Amino acid sequence: MIAIHRPSVSPLQLAVLAGATLILLPLGYVTVLALSADVAIWHRLWTTRVPELLLNTVSLAGAVALLTFVLGVSTAWMVTRFEFPGRRLWEVGLVLPLAMPTYVLAYIYNYLLGFGGPVEQLWQMLAGPQARIISPQSFWGVTIVMALDTFPFVYLLTRSALLSFNVSFEEVARTCGASPLHRTLFVTLPLLRPSIVAGLALVILYVVSDFGAVSLLRYQTLTYAVFQQMTGRSDNQAASILSILLVILALLFLLTERWFRRKSRFYQTSGRFRTPQRIRCRWLHAAALTACLATVIGLAFGIPAYLLVIWSLSPEAQAILDARFFGFVWNSALLSTLAATAGVFVGLPLAYLASRKPTWLNVGCLQAAYAGYVLPGPVAALAVLVLFLKVLPFLYGTVIVLIVAYVLHFLPVGLQSLEPSIQQITPNLEEVARTLGLTVRETWRRVTLPLIRNGVIVAWVLIFLQTMKELPATLLLRPVGFDTLAIRVWLEASEEYYQLAAPSALLIVLVGLPALVLLLSRDWRAA
Amino acid sequence: MRLFYRRSPRATAIASQLKLLGVSVACILALFWLIMPPFASAAEKLTVYSGRAERLIKPVLDEFTAKTGIQIELLSSGTMELVNRMKAEGKRSPADVFITNDAGSLEMARAAGLLRPLNMREVERAIPPQFRASDSSWVGLSGRFWIVVYNTTMVKPDQITSLLDLANPKWKDKIAIPNAGSEYLQAGVSVIRASVGDDQTRKFLEGLRDNAGTRVYQKSSQIVEAVAKGQVAMGIVNHYYVYRHLATQPTAPLAVLMPDQQEGGMGAIMNVAGIGILKHTPRLENAKLLVEFLVAQAGQKLFADLDKEYPLHPEVKADPALIERKSFRAALVPLSKLAELREPTLLLIEQVGMR
Repeated sequence: MIAIHRPSVSPLQLAVLAGATLILLPLGYVTVLALSADVAIWHRLWTTRVPELLLNTVSLAGAVALLTFVLGVSTAWMVTRFEFPGRRLWEVGLVLPLAMPTYVLAYIYNYLLGFGGPVEQLWQMLAGPQARIISPQSFWGVTIVMALDTFPFVYLLTRSALLSFNVSFEEVARTCGASPLHRTLFVTLPLLRPSIVAGLALVILYVVSDFGAVSLLRYQTLTYAVFQQMTGRSDNQAASILSILLVILALLFLLTERWFRRKSRFYQTSGRFRTPQRIRCRWLHAAALTACLATVIGLAFGIPAYLLVIWSLSPEAQAILDARFFGFVWNSALLSTLAATAGVFVGLPLAYLASRKPTWLNVGCLQAAYAGYVLPGPVAALAVLVLFLKVLPFLYGTVIVLIVAYVLHFLPVGLQSLEPSIQQITPNLEEVARTLGLTVRETWRRVTLPLIRNGVIVAWVLIFLQTMKELPATLLLRPVGFDTLAIRVWLEASEEYYQLAAPSALLIVLVGLPALVLLLSRDWRAA
Repeated sequence: MRLFYRRSPRATAIASQLKLLGVSVACILALFWLIMPPFASAAEKLTVYSGRAERLIKPVLDEFTAKTGIQIELLSSGTMELVNRMKAEGKRSPADVFITNDAGSLEMARAAGLLRPLNMREVERAIPPQFRASDSSWVGLSGRFWIVVYNTTMVKPDQITSLLDLANPKWKDKIAIPNAGSEYLQAGVSVIRASVGDDQTRKFLEGLRDNAGTRVYQKSSQIVEAVAKGQVAMGIVNHYYVYRHLATQPTAPLAVLMPDQQEGGMGAIMNVAGIGILKHTPRLENAKLLVEFLVAQAGQKLFADLDKEYPLHPEVKADPALIERKSFRAALVPLSKLAELREPTLLLIEQVGMR
């Protein structure tokens, strides 16, 4: 008799497999749905919608990337290379736009730049009654709104690169007689390239998967079209085809970005490292810098925040602050809490096993969980919706479905801070605890968890925040009587009742502010 | 160094087992609470799915609650979204009543077998049969007309008789229209197709597309505003948007033109907002009470006046600011046909390349 040794399957392993299944099953099902679609549907989409949608999506991403590049790099340059009064304040202030959900900014600009809005009235006073300004519901309108909301990604990464920049390179160039402009263009910028590209990558992914702003500004991107196919035409198959295209687009882009980063690594060969000295500014120079920064922050955060406060204080808005409104607050809090907790519970085993037992299976599961990255909100909603209708129809229209969609969508965000925190602790610590007689569970409770606590907290907060802001999946899957603050903003803003949307929007922004501190201190990339 | 032994291992094990048990019980309970259909037990409730903007329906429903004590759960969303949702939920749908602004989608819900035929004397007495489904499974509540709004300083009312005139090249860059996603445009185009055929409709849409150029608006209120400012001479909107604008700015140079009233013309394009009761509702009595409330004279007045629409009850007068209902005729396309016309209409709009 030969004893066959069977590998035992631990419950943790099961949890990991379940987590990965949860992620992959909906995605797989959407793929199947798309591939099983009639050729006629494919043909119809390819001949009517797809070219335009692809062009729109790609050109918007390109234009926003260009604009955020200019805004992000120039502002980072200003606060790192110059010393002037109030510099510290601006350094923090430039991150504030991240607390504004894009659709909130979109609805405010809808009012500001909109038909008969304040900006147009001003312009017509100057240029005559027939003059039109740029419409917020045009390509450039959407580009501006998106860029104002996402440039902090580029700013943050560029700033940290500039702060750790070795000034020797520039000095060498200087001794060789290069002019300041030349030095900036041919020495500094190329060295910053990896950081800038990483920032732009975040911006582009954000633009491609955004739903709120493009729908309020009615700009047809692939993501918006998926939503419209689902709601306007009840055509889940067409929606799934567009979803697949979207996922492919995002994947292509991610791979390109990885490749880019692989090719550009810079090494410091000598041991000399000096950070640049900040240039002290004369008052005129300082005034110019302040004006520039104030304009950028004013447009991206100051004016919108001011309007939100003013609107929230208006009598119309005060009238809706009743029990019903606090019900929405409660719903938002409840859903976000559930989603964040579920996300951490699903994410922990995934990250833990992948770093402790990096078999191909475990690592594969972890990578699968990152698939949510390329799943825009409507697609995640579509995936969960079709799957539940097929498999567990009695759960449709309950909170469970919504939570599953959130976890699917935001798990990558959580994993980004869980993974490093687990990788940082050495397995030796756990082994020592075991040899001192602790059981597995006690070790986990008394050694591992306290050590990774911060990572868990950050992951939880990030998922909580994202869920708070989430629109498309909530719109499509919310149970009756489960309107959230984001939904209220959307409902009122799409009817152009600016005052009534304001309290909800303001609350979302306020909740987002303290979390920004967390982001700044740690891994804010997931915002 | 007794770092880790504060309790005997046995006690720890039992304690942690208990804790685990407690946590799992709590989780299971929470799960049940979440899966439970909301408010299944409450009899004095009613869940309404509404595709009508919240502020045009909530005051009426609040009035109903004040009168009957029946609490209303309201889910506001896009009309088609709700139809899809009810289809997906099937028998388990929490919805009791479906209210929306478009007869086409009501008819779709009926065709999908979601709605319940109503046999109510109150309904038959109040709402004329052309504004109801063949089996009364949906009932119209108020009427809206797709009209031409024009700037009185730029256009003489005798220059236009029909909607189709707006495709005439002489109006190039003088027309404002709603975008392709607008339900009003879709329903309107359906009626035109049924009246004049596809070829003529296509020509009309192409002309309209060229005349409007970039003046394609998301909101009807923006169209009215553009006309009031003289940025365009004319626009196509639902009638009540004009009166909404005039209510805030009485001096605006705006007027409403009821199109297609000429001899042999197709008549003004009409759509209704309406209500249907879901087939599987356990709260049929409450739902019927709501329908009764809305078709009664007081309810009709309240419902229509909130948005300056035309009540469908023959004895209820519309807001005096509106054009007298008896002075014009509506297109003869049955409202229930809007549903089957919809898909080809969407395709046509897409092919013409309306923005």
